[in-house]
Amino acid sequence: MTKLTLRAALALTCLSMPMLAQADETLDVVAQFEIQAPEPSTSGYIFTRMGVAETLVNAHSDGTLTPGLATSWEVSEDGLTWAFALRDGVLFHDGTKMTADTVVNALEIARAKPGPLQTLPITGIAASEGTVTVTLSEPFAALPAFLAEFRSQILSPGSFAPDGTGVKIIGTGPYRITAIEPPLSLDASAFADYWGAAPHIADVSYTGVSRVETRALMAESGEAEFVFGLDPASVSRLNMLDTVEVLSVAIPRTLLIKVNAGHPFLNERDARRALSLAIDRTGIAKAVLRYPEGAGQLFPPSVAGWHDDTLAPLGQDVEAAKTLLRNLGWAAGSDGILRRDGARFELTLTTYPDRPELPLVAAVLEQQFRAIGVDLAINTTNSSEIPAGHQNGTLELGLIARNFSLIPDPIGTVLSDYVGNGDWGAMNWQNEGFTALVRGLARGEGGDAERAQAAGILQAELPIIPIAWYQQTLAVSDKVTGATIDPFERSFGLQTMRWAE
Amino acid sequence: MSVLDLSAAPQPPLSATRRVGVVLIALVAALSLLGPLIVQGDPYAQSLMKALAGPDAAAPLGYDHLGRSVFHRLAYALRLSPVIALAAVMTAGAAGLALGTLSAAKGGWIDRCLVMLADALLALPGLLLILMVLAMVPGTALGFWAGLSLVLWVEFFRLTRAATRETLASPAVQASRLLGFGAAYVFRVHIWPEIAPMMLTAAAFGTATAIMAIAALGFVHVGMRAPTPELGLMMVELLPYWREAPLALLAPVLATFALLLGLTLLAGSRKT
Amino acid sequence: MSAIVSRLVQALMVAILIGTATFVMMRSLPGDAAWRIAAGRYGYDNVDAAAADAVRAELGLDGPAHMALLQWLGDLVRLDFGNSLVTGQPVVDEIAHQLGASASLALVAVLLSLVIGPPLGILAGLRPGGRLDRALLVTSTGIKAVPQFLVALVLIVILAVQLRWLPAAGHGAARHFILPSLTLALGLAAVNARIARDAMARIADMPFWRFAQWKGLSERQTLLRHGLRNVSVPLITYLGLQFVTLVEGVIIVESVFGWPGIGHALVHAIFSRDVPMVQGTALVLGLGFVLVNAAIDLAIRHLDPRTAA
Repeated sequence: MTKLTLRAALALTCLSMPMLAQADETLDVVAQFEIQAPEPSTSGYIFTRMGVAETLVNAHSDGTLTPGLATSWEVSEDGLTWAFALRDGVLFHDGTKMTADTVVNALEIARAKPGPLQTLPITGIAASEGTVTVTLSEPFAALPAFLAEFRSQILSPGSFAPDGTGVKIIGTGPYRITAIEPPLSLDASAFADYWGAAPHIADVSYTGVSRVETRALMAESGEAEFVFGLDPASVSRLNMLDTVEVLSVAIPRTLLIKVNAGHPFLNERDARRALSLAIDRTGIAKAVLRYPEGAGQLFPPSVAGWHDDTLAPLGQDVEAAKTLLRNLGWAAGSDGILRRDGARFELTLTTYPDRPELPLVAAVLEQQFRAIGVDLAINTTNSSEIPAGHQNGTLELGLIARNFSLIPDPIGTVLSDYVGNGDWGAMNWQNEGFTALVRGLARGEGGDAERAQAAGILQAELPIIPIAWYQQTLAVSDKVTGATIDPFERSFGLQTMRWAE
Repeated sequence: MSVLDLSAAPQPPLSATRRVGVVLIALVAALSLLGPLIVQGDPYAQSLMKALAGPDAAAPLGYDHLGRSVFHRLAYALRLSPVIALAAVMTAGAAGLALGTLSAAKGGWIDRCLVMLADALLALPGLLLILMVLAMVPGTALGFWAGLSLVLWVEFFRLTRAATRETLASPAVQASRLLGFGAAYVFRVHIWPEIAPMMLTAAAFGTATAIMAIAALGFVHVGMRAPTPELGLMMVELLPYWREAPLALLAPVLATFALLLGLTLLAGSRKT
Repeated sequence: MSAIVSRLVQALMVAILIGTATFVMMRSLPGDAAWRIAAGRYGYDNVDAAAADAVRAELGLDGPAHMALLQWLGDLVRLDFGNSLVTGQPVVDEIAHQLGASASLALVAVLLSLVIGPPLGILAGLRPGGRLDRALLVTSTGIKAVPQFLVALVLIVILAVQLRWLPAAGHGAARHFILPSLTLALGLAAVNARIARDAMARIADMPFWRFAQWKGLSERQTLLRHGLRNVSVPLITYLGLQFVTLVEGVIIVESVFGWPGIGHALVHAIFSRDVPMVQGTALVLGLGFVLVNAAIDLAIRHLDPRTAA
């Protein structure tokens, strides 16, 4: 009797399982990002990517800036006053109108929190009828690009507590949040009064899944229609499936070694060159990252102007590397590791596991540096150890992934990283010619020739050692069509997607 | 291995299931200790061209995603976790034995304090304690040793305390005491023979628990760090390639299962 | 009555131990707390000195340690756990939210394990040495030797990826419960089944059992009238002990399946040095253990009045 009941229950469960796996009418998006709080300064990029919040300025996939919530902008003769004309008839999700005052309110709150706006020479943001005016203390040509960054998103005044903390996300985007459960999920549906074209798919959901293996499995099992941020191994596995399409695009993000150029072993340019020559970029790209090629220079081809095709690419030459080090006075010890004045050539490479490929590449570098007599210890730790090590001077080498276009104009990142001694840029390295060039570019003087010249200085001096240019990969189910990847990592492009017939 | 040394203490002959357990552990130990002597190789050496290639003479279990020999990484991993586990079990066993005997012999407030401490620790999930110690101690292996010892001693303490109290109250011990024998004699002749068989069971369970904890935390990326060959870490590293190289993933899975099954069987039933 | 008092003492000890220990531990973590919190808050692309300074200023991390401890203990007495250092939300809200997800998962797992384990164990115990008994022994020993993450791995690969019956991860709908709870339940059932089997075998060997059968009751009637109550006592006792195993399983399973529960939160909180969150979560888990066991003490006394004596 008991047995019979058990069997029946088991059979029933088995029969019901395939039905449980049936998809509903919601587009499920999965990515690694966790929603900290309804706070634009920390989790804002999730809201902009999901099409919930928007910025004054947008970026086209080739990097040109396009109108967003602002329809046009112009700068005064002296470069100190910028006027942004706001789009008419834009409603927030709570039904209130977007006005110049609400925009100024959102920008002022963003400017008071840590972020790129804080670093700009802004003296004031003022509202007048349909226009927002930003005044500067010195010219800054890339201002519109900074307003395209996620932390400059425009939310209604009701989104903030009196002290400016985000309490609710009331944006202007095509999707309106219906439920938000930090840290892992968000549901949204189409906003009926959206100013632009209505999205084709009415209901979307976002789930944060931190483990890359799990994300890949969710794509493989068809559980999620749109899976962002895949690891190289999963990409080749998913490529074998018929039900999933893997999209991949080169993005302006470079995998590189941040070098402490003040370290006694690394303060000579030839030592940095030797390390660079030890790296088998093609091997790493093909076997570990499964990309077509390694990085021949810092800026990938997608960073228009800064990438210079005529620059001789960085390559591997173990013998040349050994010669360079020998000329610097290094000689191999009994264990095969180089020594100079009694000091052993040993360095610590700090990296972080948030991007799964970083520890893998670190493991490969350890072997390739050993081949030229450099002993590398790998320290995989919290990502904050890199900026913290930069600040207190203890960092030796850091393996990082740096995006040059979180602000769609690379000048912002170049300025802070290689001129301003930024936490994720060059360390103990200054170059007067480079500084002059980049400062000029920031003011709006000079063009592609100056950009290429600046890139050439980085290539010769190697304050950082580029290894690979990133490809962003995502898996899309065959149940939907029209998916695209934004190289600037600003949007998932949900509003253009449709259910497949 | 040291688990087997413990079995030298006086106890009933090994049952059939325990013998199977010993054989399984011996097989795994032979693989990890003798394997690399027969087929020489380096668990860290990479050859990117051979990534995920099948078995050959230099790598009997094929290559992982960085072209490292799975066989040699497995052999190394099968030394690492058991060594940490055994070190932790021995520390915990010694501490549990000492404190348990002390608690039973002295009684009073020492006993009450120790029991309260043990009860409080018992209420905390072991993984939570290990995670916190790992976050505090520099060096993952050291952190695992400290954290696991902290978790495991409670079991030894409770066993020892209960058995010692019972034994101390027995007529035989009363007689020895009357005859003027010291505490050391009483422990060696009366208490230890009583506790030893339970200790073996607890030690085998403790070792299995420790190995599982190390692997589990490795699998969720908060334990040992790459490129150290560790069982849980190997599995999670090879998981994405399960379609391309199923053998490479299966090897650590089967080895872990055999090791843990061996220890579970050796531990036998809790009632012994 | 003394049982209740000793549980209260245990609860107090747990609170003191966790309160001070986590505090000392989190204070002595390597690295600067402000940096880690900033990394947790702003993400690896955006953590820099400005962000760390903002965190340091906001949270007053430069204050002396003993003051912070005293303040925390004072707040605790008033049942105020403070705010999470990473998200800025009250710890109580976060825990309440995550505890729900974990508790529902754990509850489903326990129920599932009770559906799987004890019936099989009772059937096996009725015929000790029979085919089912031997098969159950081998299976339960085998399952106990498999770490939970491995069970999860096997279930995902077979049920989600190959057969596509169930979602591999995620949460929200009922179907998301099945794989994680099954992972937890298998481990629990392996033990449940053995306990039930041993208890049943012991009872079936007792005189009253044989008498009941001799007086003409069918095996089913005997089981329902005399067996189940007796089997349930050791089962429930063991359930209390399994609570700790369950919590550990939850930490691993939540991480593997991306379940937004307390285990997931705990791992994250330890990573980003979120002191109030770690203390809050650890306290809830520890006190939960005491509470569950106190409830079980009472349940046992109700089921088996002999123990009250």
